[in-house]
Amino acid sequence: MCALDGVTLTVRRGEWVAIVGPSGSGKSSLLNLMGALDVPTSGTVRIDGYDVAGRDDDELSALRGHTLGFVFQSFHLLSRLSAVDNVAAALLYRGIGAARRRERAAEALRRVGLGTRLRHRPAQLSGGECQRVAIARAIVGEPALVLADEPTGNLDSRTGAEIMSLFAALHADGVTLVLITHDDAVARAAERRIVLRDGRVTSPPDASPKPGR
Amino acid sequence: MSTLDAGTGSDENGGSAGRREWERSVLDPRDAVRLGVLGLLGRRGRALLTAIGIAIGIAALVAIVGISASSRANVLAVLDRLGTNYLTVTPGQALAGGPAELPADARRRLAHLDAVQAVATTGQLDVTLRRSDQLPRTITRGTVVLAADPGLLTTLHGTVAAGHWLDATPGSYPTVVLGATAARRQGVDLALGPQMVWLGDQWFAAVGVLAPMPLAPELDNAAMIGVGVAADRFGYQGSPSTIYLRADPSNIDAVRVVAAATADPRHPAQVQVTRPADALAARAATNTAFTTLLLGLGGVALLVGGVGIANVMVISVLERRGEIGVRRALGATRRHIRAQFLVEALVQAGAGGVAGVAAGGCLTVGYAVAMDWPVRLPLLGLGGGILAALVVGALAGIYPAARAARLAPAEAVRAG
Repeated sequence: MCALDGVTLTVRRGEWVAIVGPSGSGKSSLLNLMGALDVPTSGTVRIDGYDVAGRDDDELSALRGHTLGFVFQSFHLLSRLSAVDNVAAALLYRGIGAARRRERAAEALRRVGLGTRLRHRPAQLSGGECQRVAIARAIVGEPALVLADEPTGNLDSRTGAEIMSLFAALHADGVTLVLITHDDAVARAAERRIVLRDGRVTSPPDASPKPGR
Repeated sequence: MSTLDAGTGSDENGGSAGRREWERSVLDPRDAVRLGVLGLLGRRGRALLTAIGIAIGIAALVAIVGISASSRANVLAVLDRLGTNYLTVTPGQALAGGPAELPADARRRLAHLDAVQAVATTGQLDVTLRRSDQLPRTITRGTVVLAADPGLLTTLHGTVAAGHWLDATPGSYPTVVLGATAARRQGVDLALGPQMVWLGDQWFAAVGVLAPMPLAPELDNAAMIGVGVAADRFGYQGSPSTIYLRADPSNIDAVRVVAAATADPRHPAQVQVTRPADALAARAATNTAFTTLLLGLGGVALLVGGVGIANVMVISVLERRGEIGVRRALGATRRHIRAQFLVEALVQAGAGGVAGVAAGGCLTVGYAVAMDWPVRLPLLGLGGGILAALVVGALAGIYPAARAARLAPAEAVRAG
C-alpha cells in the first residue's frame, strides 16, 4: 500500500501552507514525514534544508526537538503538569536549565494570550485555552516549522476561529506554519492551499511564491 | 516517490542536501529524576502499593539480618560476662575399653598449676532422686545426683536463684541443692516453704535452687549434695566425674595443653579436656543455617515485589502512549523515554527499600529489646537492603522501559 505517491512540496520559511483533504487522503502520512516522526520508503524529505534519510533515532529526535513544533487535534497536554510546565517540557530535551525553561514558557504563554493562566492545569482550562497552551509549547523553542494537525477539530467554531486568528498573528510574526485539516473553510485562512486526495496532490501547488520576504 | 522540503530558506529552493551535525537531544540527570518522581506523584496510590511490595521484602531481609546479628551479639555478650577461661576435664575412654576414671587427687594436682585460679569437682553418684518415697523407682525425671565441691559455685561464677548453696550448712547434714531444670522438673519451689526430696532412699532437705548455668548446662539437670554427705551415706570415693577449672585468660591455652597430663599423669590419653565456651560459640554459628533459609524467603518476597513493579509499569506504559508520543515529538530519544520509565521503577523500589529498611530496623530493635539482647543493626544489611531494592527495581523496570522506548513516535502520538 502506498499512502503518499508523487507528492512534491516545498514550504518556504515564513510561509503558511494548509494541506487539506478528506480522511484517508494521506494527510497524516504527510504530517508524519514532515514531522520526522516517520521516514519515507522512497523519496526525499528535507527539513530546514537537511535530508532525514539515513538518520538514526537520536538524530531524528534531535531534529524534532530543535527545528519542529507540533500542535495536535486533541492537544496532548500532560494532565498532571501546569500550563507553564507543559510548555517548558518542549525545552526539556534541549538541555536548557529549569529556571530558564519556565521563563521562556511563561513568555510563550503570554504570546498566545494565556499570561494569567500559567499555574492552571489542563483540567482547569477550556478547550480553546488548552489548544493555546499546546500552541505555546509548539512555538516556545522557535522552531523552523510548526506543524498543526486538525488544531480546531476538537473545538467549537467560535473557539476554532479564535485559534485561527492566533495562527494568523503568529504567521504575521514570521512563524512558518503547516496546517493540516479536512475542513476547506479552515484551510482558506492560509495563504497557500495544497489539496490531497488518495495520496496525491490534486491541485498543483501555488506556482508563484509570495514576494517580499 | 515524494519530495518534501519544509522550512527551507526562501532563496535556496531545496539546493542544500548537505548533512549537518544536528544539535543533540539531551536529558539532564536531574531532570530525569524529576520526571520519574513527577510521574509517580501523579499515580500516588498505585506507586505506594507497589512500593509496599518491595518494602515488605526488604523489611524481612533487614529484620532477619538484624535479629540474627543481635542474637549472635547476645551469645558473645553472655560469653564475655561468663568468661571464656573455663575448662572442663572429664574421663574419656579407657584404652582397654570401658569408661576411664579420673584419679581422686586430680583436683589437687590441677590446683597446683600456676595459671589455674579455681578448681572444683563433681562426682556422679549411683543413686536416684525422686520427689517422694511413694513414687516408683523409675520416676527420676532425668535428675542426676552429684557430689559437689563447696567451691563449685564460685569456680563457675554461678548464682543461687533461691535458698543457699551447700557451703552454708555443715557437711554432714542431708541437704541438697537443685539445678534450675531439675528443680522445675521435680516441682521444687522454695518459695512455697521447705521441701524434702527422696534421694538414695533417704529424705534430703532441698536448701537451694541454682540459676541456669550456660557454661555448665549439665548442672542444670543435677541434684548436688556435699562431698562429706556423699562419702558418709553413699560411699563416695572422691573420684571426680567432671573437674571444672578456671584459669588466667591469657594462659588458658597453655593450661589446656597440660591439663590432661596433670589430671592423670599415667594415662593422659584417657582424659578429655573441653572448653564450654567453644560449644556455645558453635551453637551461635549454627544459627546461620536457619538464617540463610529465612533470607531466602525474604528474597522471594522481594522478587514478588519486583514482579509487581514490572506488572504495574507495563500497564502504565500502555496508558501513557500519548505522553510518550508527545515527548518523542518534543525531541526525546528512545534512551530518554527508557530512562524516564527506569527512573520511575527505581524511585518506587528505592522508596520501598528505604521504608523496608526502616521497618526492618524497627523490628530488629523491638525484638532485641523484648528479648533483652544488645541491638545490632549491621550497616551492611541496611545499605544492602536499599541496594537490593534498587537492583530489583532496575530489573523490574527494564522490560516496561524497553516497551515504552520501542513505541514508534507516529503511532504513539496518535494514541491518547
